[in-house]
Order: sequence, then structure tokens, then C-alpha cells
Amino acid sequence: MTVSRTSRLPDSDRVFGVATVMATILLLVTFVLIPLWAILKNSFVTPDGGIGFGNFIHYFADARFVTIVGNTFEVGISVTLTTLALAYGFAYAVQRTAMPFRNVLRIVALLPIFSPSLVQALGLQFLLGRNGFVNRTFGTEIDIYGFWGIFISDLVYAFPHAFLILSTALAVADARLYESADSLGAGAWRIFRTVTLPATRYGLASAAFVVFTIVITDFGNAVVIGGNYSVLAVEIYNQVSGQANFSMGAVIGVLLLLPAALAVIGEKWIARRQFASLTAQSIPLVVQPNRARDAAWFVYSVVVALAILSLVAIVIYASFVRLWPYNLSFSLRHYQFDVQNGIQPLWTSIYVALLTAVLSVFFVTGAAYVNHAFPMRASRILYFLAILPAAVPGMVLGLGYILAFNTPGQPVYWIYDTILIIALCNVYHYHAQGFLLATTNIKQISSTFDEASATLGATKLRTVWRVTLPMIWPTVLAVGVFFFMRAMVTLSAVIFLITPSTQLAAVSVLYLDDRGALNQAAAFAVCIMATVVAFLIITQLALRLAGIRGVSLVR
Amino acid sequence: MFLSLRGVTKRFGSLVAVDHVDLDLTEGEFVCFLGPSGCGKTTLLRLIAGLETLDDGEVLLEGTDLAGLPARKRNFGVVFQSYSLFPNMTVAKNVAYGLECRKWPEAKIEARVAEMLELVHLSRDAGKYPHELSGGMQQRVALARALAPEPAVLLLDEPLSALDAKVRESLRGEISELQKRLGITTIMVTHDQDEAMEMADRIVALNRGRIEQVGSAEELYWDPATRFVGEFIGRINMLSSPDLCAGLDTTAGETVLAIRPEHIVVADGGAHSGTVRNVAFLGNTMRLGVEAGGQDLEIEVHGRRRRMQVGDTVSFDLPADRVRRLAASSP
Repeated sequence: MTVSRTSRLPDSDRVFGVATVMATILLLVTFVLIPLWAILKNSFVTPDGGIGFGNFIHYFADARFVTIVGNTFEVGISVTLTTLALAYGFAYAVQRTAMPFRNVLRIVALLPIFSPSLVQALGLQFLLGRNGFVNRTFGTEIDIYGFWGIFISDLVYAFPHAFLILSTALAVADARLYESADSLGAGAWRIFRTVTLPATRYGLASAAFVVFTIVITDFGNAVVIGGNYSVLAVEIYNQVSGQANFSMGAVIGVLLLLPAALAVIGEKWIARRQFASLTAQSIPLVVQPNRARDAAWFVYSVVVALAILSLVAIVIYASFVRLWPYNLSFSLRHYQFDVQNGIQPLWTSIYVALLTAVLSVFFVTGAAYVNHAFPMRASRILYFLAILPAAVPGMVLGLGYILAFNTPGQPVYWIYDTILIIALCNVYHYHAQGFLLATTNIKQISSTFDEASATLGATKLRTVWRVTLPMIWPTVLAVGVFFFMRAMVTLSAVIFLITPSTQLAAVSVLYLDDRGALNQAAAFAVCIMATVVAFLIITQLALRLAGIRGVSLVR
Repeated sequence: MFLSLRGVTKRFGSLVAVDHVDLDLTEGEFVCFLGPSGCGKTTLLRLIAGLETLDDGEVLLEGTDLAGLPARKRNFGVVFQSYSLFPNMTVAKNVAYGLECRKWPEAKIEARVAEMLELVHLSRDAGKYPHELSGGMQQRVALARALAPEPAVLLLDEPLSALDAKVRESLRGEISELQKRLGITTIMVTHDQDEAMEMADRIVALNRGRIEQVGSAEELYWDPATRFVGEFIGRINMLSSPDLCAGLDTTAGETVLAIRPEHIVVADGGAHSGTVRNVAFLGNTMRLGVEAGGQDLEIEVHGRRRRMQVGDTVSFDLPADRVRRLAASSP
């Protein structure tokens, strides 16, 4: 009876499906798995050629190294807890109160996403540094370099990421639960503890993992304002870039990889235990005005927003003054960029970001589509590899690229020292987020369109081109915008991959700051932020003109 | 045979959705797959369309096994419950889609699209987009789109169930007429017995992935073969009480005796009597719930009569030629 099935001829759709799935897996293996393998290999291969934990034992015998590991976790845990508390309050105020200016406050909270991670530290220098605004105005001698500098700047940097997740968690609620609790005589605090908090547990856990990963792997803020307080992300940079100590770099890479991987696994584990809190019968909660409560939350939100805004504003301000902090007269001279490569790194960044966006549209949405449209045994491998990068810190991936591809004779050696390797590194660094975003949207499109097309005689390729793409292009665009933004501001993944001819804007800010040219660093940072914001506005306008609404580009 | 199913089987994990189905269709026939949700009727249609792969068995079109042919090469027109018109294309573009896939010359495509839209009375809406049309109009476009490439078989997957009752009625007639006019072999999936009885030449009653009975609407109604068919199409009383079965042949084992409510004859001095438990007056008919011989019976009485009251005693006959012997259905 089954003879007919085994005698099936290879069909062109099947060939297309298998070919695209295999090509996608090949790309993921090349640009994710091989670099990771290179890191692991280097960390376990000891100088005498043996294999084992020799490197780890060697470095952990060093008291300084143990201190650095301790510092990293100290910053990671303290920033995570503080960010969660502050961002939860802010998200609560935005979603669950009727305070005024909610939209403005929301946008202010998102500002740090539009700038590289070192800009918060730069702003903090202007504000609380030795020659900062506070010390000069009040004659104080606050020393911000060290733990507190990293703490504050990473807090601000991680804030929007936590805010976005918690805001989503708080956005929906079942009014019936609140009415029941209210009618049973529960007070506001009890309702919060017994209804609101349990419903947002998953959001909290998810935000905690995301923030923790961001903080322990953040390089920009720590290198600018860490002073003598060393953390792993800075140490890996010093060891590799400064001393070409690749084996120690690889050991630190593995140390960063472990907690990040555990955090991602933890998040997935919790996600599976989360049951849907909303059903079709739920009645959406409508926020009722309450003057005292709204006023209190408004004050809180304004204070938080001002703190975030002040770090951005002072960078912008400093970029327009003649010489911070001695001569505060207005000047545009820092925008002449008469140093180093001039403005070239900004253009390089834009090229890289555009290239990243284009590649992501093909590779990332392509991976999501292929995974969805051609279910086969290999799809599980594809899915795993596609979301694996979520657990890989940028610096680890970047280091992996050096270790894996910087060998003449490698099939992809030719991309070394080009902007292509930087763009590819960006694509695979943020692959998981883009892939999940695209998958969610592709899944929402009914499969009957595919089936209708097939029964009318269309090949898969024609269906993609004529039916699927016209329906999902806003998603494709959103993925492209996401990757453009990330590529413009990322520092950690690309720090190992740049060369003098492929220097990027975010790295320029770092170098200028390192040289003490703070005003120029500020001007460069402003250019990056302006580019990102302008790109967002242009895309949004283009969407409006095309009659598309409701596509949110900031994720 | 034009289209033949031989031992067609489909499993989803441990669930057998379609269980060794054998069926033959002659050319130009209109067949309905009828059954409750979850009976496997849609899966069976999708297997024929090539949208699912068989686990066992074969589908033959004029003797040729279709196993190696994916959906796009089978030349079967499919209409889905959800219309599934391509939202980014106009009505005309939707209808032309299948012809473009077959690389028809442009002039021929244009003529065919005009012809098809004429057929479903939508010529004036050729330039509109699907969202500008009502549900009924969208489904007519879907029909035109499926028929345009001159398919060998037309497959309709609950085409009417997303529509309003009124639109459904008129579209029933339209589809039947179109099918007769084109003489195209058609299979329609439905859970609506009225729809199946009105439209189909033959009805395939499906339950738990198996065929219970195949026949015309009349055959299925007057001579249901199984308990499932009897209960699913129309109303029927199962006779379980020994009192009521007295005088009837109760020999065979795995069977049950049954009678339709309208076949029970209410008459003074009938062989049986019972107590009226409820009365529903439905105009020309009156439906009585009667307790007799320790079981409940439904009796339908026609024409003008004295209104019965709850608690009344009613006497009736169970005509032996009206009592059906039904096979137990697969559990």
C-alpha cells in the first residue's frame, strides 16, 4: 500500500524547501556555531597543547581575576534588582494610572535605546565627573569612577529594556479580578500583592534575565566610567585588544557565556509555565482617574524621566559648548570632526547599519519563513540555532569571529577586515530577537493563503513572492529597522572586528573619550542618536504615506 | 471510476483521523461529506486535495495514483471556509492567479476571467479588493478562482458555514446550479444535514474517521444503516424497552431497533400507551415527549388535532414496516 509514497519523484517545491532550510542552517552553523566552538576550543586548549580546565585553574588562582568575576556579579545583581523596581513602578504608572503626559514619559524612558551603551557613562561624566556639573557647581568632590559609575550608567542603559517588557506585562489585565478583589474588601496594597503582582510574575522574571545579561556583558559604560573597578567585559577587551591574550579572552568568554545561557534557559523555562492570564471572556481593565494616586505616580515618573533625560541632555549640551567645563559659550566646532578619520566613521556606521538591515531582511526573516513554511526534521535544529544567539553576549560572538575566521585559508577568510564581517556579526548577534519577531508575525497569517495558492498551481517561490511577501512586508520592514538601530549603537560585538579603515561611530566615541576629547565624543554621540531617530521618523513617515498604520518599529 | 479512494488513512499522533476509507465517484457527481466536527471529513478532503499526505492507502484519478503529485500539480479547485482570497490582489487578479501559474497567454486569461466573473455575477466588481466585498461575494470570487483553471475536481471545504443564514440559502442554489451547468465532479464538506440533503447527489456520512453509510438523501433518511446515521440525519427513537419491542424481531445481537417520531401512529386503541411529559406546538406539527414502557419516546403528530396536555395518556402503534434495525456505530 505504501509503495506509491516511496516512489514519489522529487518535487521542485520539496527541493526548494530542503535547499533553503539547509542553506539557512549552513549560515547559522558558520556564523554562530563555529565562532562559539572556536571560543570553547581556545578556552580548553592549554598553552602546552593539552586539553582540559588548565586555563580556568590558572586564571582562577589569580586573586585579581577572582575579584573581577566578583565585581561582575556584584554589578549584575545590584543593577538588576534596582532596574526592576524602578522600571516596574514606571511601567505601572504608564499603564495603570491616568496621570498626564503618559506618552511623553514613555518616549523619554525609551531614549537610552537610541544611543550606544557608553553614552550614559559619558553623560554621567559630564554630570558627576571630576570636572562635572555637580562638583563644579557645589564644590563637592564626588568620585563617580568605579562601582557607582557603572551602576548608574548601566541602570539607565538597561532601564528601557526592562520597561518595555514590564509595560507589555502590565498592559493587559482582567477587570473581573480587580472588581472581585475590590468587592471582597481588599485594600489597594493587598490588591497589588494578590492580583497585579502575580499576573506580572513572568514579565518580571523575563525582565530580570534580560537586564542581568545586558549588565554583565556590557562593555561601553564599564570601560568609560569603571575606573579601577574591573569587570569581565572590560577585562576581555584589555586581554584581547591590548595584549592579544586569546586564551584568556576565550576563558572570560566562556565565563560570560555561562550565566547568559543560564538566564536564557531560565526565561524559556518560566515562559513554558506561564498560563494565559487572559481568556476570551476577560473584560479589559479600564483605568479610572484617581487624583491622589495619579499625582503621586506622576511625580515619581517625572523624577525618573528627568534623571534619564539629564544624562542625554547634558551630552547634547556638552557637544555644543566651546570647552567643557571651562568655557560654556555656544560653539559648533566639535561638529567639524577635524580629528582622526573625521566624520568618516559615522558614514561607515550607516553603511554597516544599512548592510545589516538588508542582510537581516534576507537571512533573518528568511530563516523565520523557511522554518515556518517547510516543517521537516531539520527544522528543530534550525530553530535551536536561530535562537541560540540570545544566549551569546556580543563580545563573545565578536571574539569568536576573530578566533574562527582570522585564519588564511578559511573559506570565509575573505570577509575578514571588511564591513561585511561587522554586518554579519550584527545580524547573528541579534538573530534571536529578529527571528522571534518575524516568526510571531508570520504565524498570524492564516496558512490557508498558502494552501489556496498551492491548489491553484503555484510553486512555493511564486507563493512567497506574490502572496506571502505582500502580506508580511511591514514585518520585514520592522525587522530591518530593528537591525539598523542595533547596528548603529552596538559596541560590544564589533569592538574586536573593526580596523582603522572600518572604524565605527560608536567606537569613535569611545576613542575620543579615552583621549579626553569629551566634547567631540559628545558631538559624535549626538550624531549617532540623531541618525537613529531620523531613520525611525523617516521610516514611520514612509509607512504613513503608504497608508500603513499600527506598525510599531521600536521593540 | 473517475475518482477512487482506496483504504485512505491519516493519523495525527495516536489519533486516527481518517480510517481506511474506500469510496468511488463517477464523473460529474456532487458528493457531500457529512458528519459532526472532528469526524475527519475535512481531513479526508485535504488528503484528496494533496494538502495532507496519506499515511496509508491511495487516491486514484481515472486510475492514476496521485501520491507523487503535490497539491499544485493535481489540478483540483479548492474553496476554503475562510474564503482565503489574496487580500493584496483585486478580484480579477485573484481569479487570474491560477491561470498565470499555468502560464496561459494573457489574452486568454483576460477572456477567462471575464467569463468566470460573469458566471458568478460579479463582472462589475472585477477591480475591487476582497475587503470591499461582502462575505457572500467573496465566496463567489473564491468559487470563480477555483473554477477558472478548469479543474478536474472541485473541492469545497464548508464553503457556506462562515456566511449569514440568508446568504447561505441563496448561495446553496447558486453552487448547485453552477455544478450542474459545468458538470464538474464536486466534493463538499459540511456538518449541516439540510445543506447536504439539498445539494448532494450522494451523501457520505462520516463518523470517527470511518464511513457509516453512503447513499442519496432519501436512502439515508428512510433506511439509515447505523445508529449514528439515524441520529445525525433527522430525529429518531431508539427502542430499548422490552414492552415496546414486543412483537418485533429482536434476534440479531449488535443492533438496535429504532423508529422516527413521525412514523409512530397515534390512534385510540393502539397497541401501546404512555403518558405525555411535554408538548411542543410547532404549527402544522406537534411534538410530544411521551413516557412509555419505561423509556422516553418522541412522537410527531401532523395536522389539526386536539391540543394534548401534560399528564394525558396517549395510545399509539409502532408499525413494524417503519421500525428500522440499526447497526451499532463504531464507539
